[in-house]
Amino acid sequence: MAEEHQDQIYLQPIPVRIWHWLNAFGIITLTVSGAQIRFPDYISICGSYKSAIYLHNTAGFVVAISFSLWFFYYTFVARTMANLYVPKMEDMKSGILKQVKFYFLTYFLGWENPHHPTPDSKFNPMQKSVYLAIMFVMMPLVSLTGIFLTNVDPLRGLIVMVGGLKLLAGLHFLLACCLIAFIPTHVYLATLGRTPTDHIKTMWTGWEDEEEGHGEEHKDESEGEKAASGN
Amino acid sequence: MKMDCRILWSFLLLMALAVPLSASAMEMDDCLDCHGEVDEVGEDLFIDGDKFLPTEHADMGCVTCHESVTDEHPDDGEAVTSADCLDCHEELGGQYMATAHAENAVCSDCHNPHQVHGIESVSGPDMNQQCSQCHDSIEVMDSHAEWLPQASLHISKLPCITCHTSAEGYVIVLNITQKQKKSEGLKGYSFSNYADLKEYAGEKEIQSLIDINGDNHISLAELRTFNRNPAYKSLHLSGTMVPGEISHDLTTLDNRYDCTFCHASGPGSMQTSFLALPTEGGIYQRMTVEDGAMLDTLYGTPNFYMTGSTRSAAMNIIGLIIICGGFIMPIGHGTLRFLTRKNRQH
Repeated sequence: MAEEHQDQIYLQPIPVRIWHWLNAFGIITLTVSGAQIRFPDYISICGSYKSAIYLHNTAGFVVAISFSLWFFYYTFVARTMANLYVPKMEDMKSGILKQVKFYFLTYFLGWENPHHPTPDSKFNPMQKSVYLAIMFVMMPLVSLTGIFLTNVDPLRGLIVMVGGLKLLAGLHFLLACCLIAFIPTHVYLATLGRTPTDHIKTMWTGWEDEEEGHGEEHKDESEGEKAASGN
Repeated sequence: MKMDCRILWSFLLLMALAVPLSASAMEMDDCLDCHGEVDEVGEDLFIDGDKFLPTEHADMGCVTCHESVTDEHPDDGEAVTSADCLDCHEELGGQYMATAHAENAVCSDCHNPHQVHGIESVSGPDMNQQCSQCHDSIEVMDSHAEWLPQASLHISKLPCITCHTSAEGYVIVLNITQKQKKSEGLKGYSFSNYADLKEYAGEKEIQSLIDINGDNHISLAELRTFNRNPAYKSLHLSGTMVPGEISHDLTTLDNRYDCTFCHASGPGSMQTSFLALPTEGGIYQRMTVEDGAMLDTLYGTPNFYMTGSTRSAAMNIIGLIIICGGFIMPIGHGTLRFLTRKNRQH
């Protein structure tokens, strides 16, 4: 095992990968069934309207549960939620700008990505900010509005209080559009590794190839940490 | 002389027309003198005048249906005849008689002829009362929950006949509902009656709560003003769908089972709507609402939303722009990436 992954780092543990692909299939199912629910006079890809509703509700439930497990895993098991997802002061001051400069300028000049992913710092400052918005604002809100929309009768009082069904349905729709818009960007950015399929393979196997030079540096860091902790 | 003759004939003609009218009016009063008192005639023959007088049947007078009644009634001993509903309601009656319902209930089991109103004067819950006389509400809920998503929402919001008739097409009817009093152990919203709304309207007519300019027509602007008025925060407009035409064919068509009748009917089906205001007499009076008001994005009818049909065109455009925005990065960046690929060959 050690031989096989000599020049690799274990970046995506199994729970994260299961969550990621469950989410991916869930979101695609939600997109397709959601499109039929909104435009039933044009789209009938999921069969009858009722099938589309049941499929949407089931996929929504699966994604909401998977989101809760993800939250639980990173916060209480891996305990890296804040470190991975919340941008630090330094990220806000210069990190985001550096990353934007890389993606939109220096990448085309052939420069290296200023951020090197490690298990403790998987996301670059730009990713952190986007994921923060998606995972801490959009996903909870789209799930919450979905819960309201599937329980209109029992939650009628609350729905009227927050501004009505149309506000909730509109919010659910626009948030869904934002998440759908994220998919092509997300898939495209996943092809910006050393090879176009590098990052995608990592999300399947968990292992990512070390970048030349940087791997040694990271190994030194790890060994230093081990020594410091007495291992 | 010729002129005098004409005046005389005109006078006689007027008298001839006036006599039956006054006799009919008198007759109904006479009837209600006895039949309006439960102590006089007993429960079976009692007619509640308050409920009977606002009906269209009352406009026709008692003897139109009870032809055998004479001035000597009841002393003449004549049996009182009653008209057959089908004499007037031939088409609807014919539809009904062809259904299985006809084996179990006659017209008057559902429609008390001395209290019945047209569909436009009755609220959705009132319409369902007739069904619930035989169909137990728990059984109805259970049988629908087996296949219908959000069964309790559908059953609480819709009259049974929206699905269980062969009427093609529907209209939307808005009712004012209000928060029930927690102090009375109630929760949720119930239909406001005339007295409830009079408290809000004060000395004005209750229609002034929404119909601000008093033109008996509700514009989208008036709906928005009503919905945004903080003084009415305990009130909200609850929409339901009622068949556009009356049918007594109570079969359930396939498109009701696969939900397409309502949900795939498109925004075009959302054009016609009414506001139903309660009257002092306990019935409802409909007022037309601006075409397409149900499709307003937020404040026109914030709580009338039907997936598939009330989608807002403005929202669709914003959504499409957002989704297209997601392709800017792959297309724009991807193109530059392709053009500068040589810079990264190291």
